[in-house]
Amino acid sequence: MKKNMPPDELARDGRFVRVNMVERISDPRNGRGPTGGRVGARLTPDRPGAPDAARALMHGIFVGEIQALEGAGRTCWDFEVGAGSDDVPFQLKLDMARQCWDEARHCEISVKLSEWMGTEIGEFAESTFLFEAACNPDPVLRLTGVNRALEGLAIDVFNTMKEFGNVVGDPVLEFCEDWMLADEVTHVKMGSDWLRRLTVDDPERRKRALEFQRIVDKLFSGGGFRGDDEDSPVHLARRFREMAGFTVDEIDEISDLARQARAEARARTAGATAGAAAEAG
Amino acid sequence: MADPKKPRAPFAPWDRRELPGTFTVEDTAKRVGHYKWVEMRLFEALGGWVATVPELDVKMRLGTHCYKHAWHSELWHKRLPELREMNPDRLTRPPNEAMEEFFKVLTEPEDQGQTIEKLVGVYRVLIPRKIAAYTYHLNNTSTITDAPTIRSLKLALNDEFDDWRDGEMLIQALIETDEEVERAAAHQTRLEKIMLRAGGVAGPGSLGSVPETMTEEVPV
Amino acid sequence: MTKVVVIPEAFTLVHFESGRIQDLAAKVAGLVGLPADVEIRIEVEEQSPLGRVRVESIDPITIAVQGGAFEHAKKPRQLSDDSVVDVLGRVFHRIKDRLDPDFGKPPPDAELTLQQATAWDAYCVGRSDRLGLHPSKARRLYHFRNRHGFTDVADATFERLWNAEHLTWADIEAACAATASARQPA
Ligand SMILES: [Fe+2]
Ligand SMILES: [Fe+2]
Repeated sequence: MKKNMPPDELARDGRFVRVNMVERISDPRNGRGPTGGRVGARLTPDRPGAPDAARALMHGIFVGEIQALEGAGRTCWDFEVGAGSDDVPFQLKLDMARQCWDEARHCEISVKLSEWMGTEIGEFAESTFLFEAACNPDPVLRLTGVNRALEGLAIDVFNTMKEFGNVVGDPVLEFCEDWMLADEVTHVKMGSDWLRRLTVDDPERRKRALEFQRIVDKLFSGGGFRGDDEDSPVHLARRFREMAGFTVDEIDEISDLARQARAEARARTAGATAGAAAEAG
Repeated sequence: MADPKKPRAPFAPWDRRELPGTFTVEDTAKRVGHYKWVEMRLFEALGGWVATVPELDVKMRLGTHCYKHAWHSELWHKRLPELREMNPDRLTRPPNEAMEEFFKVLTEPEDQGQTIEKLVGVYRVLIPRKIAAYTYHLNNTSTITDAPTIRSLKLALNDEFDDWRDGEMLIQALIETDEEVERAAAHQTRLEKIMLRAGGVAGPGSLGSVPETMTEEVPV
Repeated sequence: MTKVVVIPEAFTLVHFESGRIQDLAAKVAGLVGLPADVEIRIEVEEQSPLGRVRVESIDPITIAVQGGAFEHAKKPRQLSDDSVVDVLGRVFHRIKDRLDPDFGKPPPDAELTLQQATAWDAYCVGRSDRLGLHPSKARRLYHFRNRHGFTDVADATFERLWNAEHLTWADIEAACAATASARQPA
């Protein structure tokens, strides 16, 4: 078995269909008027489409869990134990193996929860962006991108879903998200701890890792999907992020990034609307 | 309650533990080092394979089992300094070259269509060998002096039996044709032959007696 | 056969064919039993990947559909026959009820409460299921629970609506009242 497996080789059964990020981003509907693009309003029960939005989001979480499992597994395999820059400490591998177990449980939880929500496995398309971040050849960048940026996003998503479950009175949804949220906090903490430990004498590497995290964070704040604003579909879970090793400054920075991404998306929308009006006129 | 001052036997009548054991501290540390090496190679392989198997049930089981073997490797890692091996990495090694070769062949299958081979290597060859070596160790070490190793062996064995059952049932569920039976058997035979040369997961003597052809342990 | 008009005639942002939507709509209208002499206008908002569908008017029959409602969940921007059939099966049953004087007088779509809409949907989609349109019962049950509570009363009410024929608007309102009282804390 080779090291560093490319994302297009991820093994799936026939139910799963993959869409790539380029396809999503180049969708000509993006930014067209108030209902253009994929980003909806905040996930609240009063939205008529809320149950379906929750189902789709849960399926996204499910495939994300599969990829998180695969990514952690590959980190166990791809690196040797050692002190070189391509190597990792033994303890880091143990953490990744532990994450494998956690993510495998999250897959199990997600399958049961999706069934409860009336969703079939593979009902929605799968984007493999999480695993793509898990392919970074530098273990520090890999952990920062996956465990801090993407698992950080998972904290925000689980917290939002947990609140949704609580408000609509769905005991299964709330229960599942509560447990997964607890695990994700430990995963983000792993990312924070290893980033600090492995770059203690290498500020350059730490800078590169944080830059990689910023890129991933911004991609997922795209169009305002996640942020601090009242109407962001997914809210920044500040308290849980602090538990996971984020400083207040770091959380503020993600909030700013999200606001920036949201403003850019709004500007694009306004531009497209104005363009359409000009065309019509 | 009886008189608290009355002398009592230090070993209760039902406590049948005995002092003698087959292994010295040095023997034990060596075996434990081999165990750690094997558990590490195994959890790494299981982790790597997760992304390569399309079957969801197998994918999730491999992820779960991956952690258990990582935890075993940690148990052994922590036991080494207690066995006078202050540099655990020194003894974290395979018993011989054949064992290295075994893991090379074990981790050869990579394609999505090779789940049977992946599972057969682990659950029909390696894990039964681990159960054998751990059980031999458990039954022959000093029940008094080596209690910490015994505890770890029991914890590990508990997982090994569970995982062996999981893996074997997955294999049985995946094999549907004569041709697949033959594929499984061929891969098992190939690996068993290497394992035979290796002498078990702790090398010759994994199960006590060393076959005559194998009296010399080949250092790596 | 029912006449169906799809707006727009040609799609530019998604790979939908209005002819295909027309054919499917006419087939479903026939199965549901809409009168053959009515004209149905389906206005698709192709720039929206969201999935809202609304009956805008009954005379003439006008349905406003956000493009996502007809989209293949696994293939972005592609039309899904199953989605079209699923959506129209539900909406056509609703229209059939509105055209039936015995059904009663429900408020316009825009004024339905979420509870009323999901209760009526359960009744509509149950009938689609019996016509062989293969909607997802599990999905509808989840919608229903979200709106009517995660209670035994809600589940039993859903089952009754799903299996029912010849209900009236008063029955839908009674179903809503039953689940509402079960949602009140004791
Ligand atoms: Fe997870
Ligand atoms: Fe995680």
